[in-house]
Amino acid sequence: MQDVRDLKALQIDALREVANIGAGHAATALSQMTNRRIMISVPQINIARLEEVPDLLGSPQDVVAAVLMHMLGDLTGRTLLLFPEAVGRRLCDMLLRRPLGTTSAYDTLEQSCIKEAGNILSGAYMNALSDFMGMLLLPSVPSLVVDVSAAVLTTTYLNFGHERDFVFCVETEFHIDAEEELHGHFLLLPDLASLKAIFDAIRLT
Amino acid sequence: MNQAAARESIVKVADWAAERGGGVLVTLGLGSCVAIMLHDPGAGAGAMAHVLLPSRSLSRDTSNPAKFPETAVPFLIERLSALGADPRRLVAKLAGGASMFAQLMTPGSLQMGERNIVAARGVLRAAGIPIAAEAVGGGSGRSLRFYVADGRVEVRSVGTDACVI
Repeated sequence: MQDVRDLKALQIDALREVANIGAGHAATALSQMTNRRIMISVPQINIARLEEVPDLLGSPQDVVAAVLMHMLGDLTGRTLLLFPEAVGRRLCDMLLRRPLGTTSAYDTLEQSCIKEAGNILSGAYMNALSDFMGMLLLPSVPSLVVDVSAAVLTTTYLNFGHERDFVFCVETEFHIDAEEELHGHFLLLPDLASLKAIFDAIRLT
Repeated sequence: MNQAAARESIVKVADWAAERGGGVLVTLGLGSCVAIMLHDPGAGAGAMAHVLLPSRSLSRDTSNPAKFPETAVPFLIERLSALGADPRRLVAKLAGGASMFAQLMTPGSLQMGERNIVAARGVLRAAGIPIAAEAVGGGSGRSLRFYVADGRVEVRSVGTDACVI
């Protein structure tokens, strides 16, 4: 496969199912950490030109807290966990057992807290994939930035991806059950070469 | 708001715009991309390109001139000349090229933001356009407002005050 645009309908369906298993486990982990109900959406496979990447998720101008990790081993690529900036602070409240609405900035402790949450969620996601596909997947250390969504998304693809024309992501949205609307996105960004490994592992060729 | 706000042009990724008079060229969320801004103080005209990649050789689709410094600079000069600017009076400003998630980069590798900055400087030098100011590198994204009348550029990053270059 030379190009993500060559993906067939059945392959896209299979990727959705793979993502659903991973996101399901990540959601369970998040639910146990926050002691709340988590709902996940049906995973979407987004294919876009590099120029269109800022508009992939939400408004490009919104500030987001983003945790990026490398995925190494039998599959290579990255995982990106995105929260709107205010949702990231609420998540800190929940994980640090503070009254909701207390966290006002991303200081050292809060940064560490979000990175650790990213680590656990990506770990759960990769564990599920590795069990299901019989592969060895290793996560790197997490890295956090709090910045404008457009800058985060383009940099993720430009600096770390190998595709410069058409890019894709497997995206799952999750909602945290709370009084206010709390949601985030989990993105799996496998390298193009790893897609073949995924299809081979699930015997879809 | 004032009149300038009414003539705002948003420059998206791999896009460009040229204006004369009271216009403001705006780009939001520059990460490792670089904004190349050219200004003719005599004519009060300016142009901006939001370049994505340091070289055409990195992309199969090279039809968009605003995507690469090597094609964006000649293109902007041409658009500015059409607006009545004198290419010999042009000065340049650069912004962007941040390295976000720097701790995940392979040590020793040159990251895309840095490559974009180097490529943009090289193309401007070859075109004989002096660089008047830069707001490049660092670890944060930037949003810009380029006032073409006087060439002033407001640079904003999340969590810091705006500065003017």
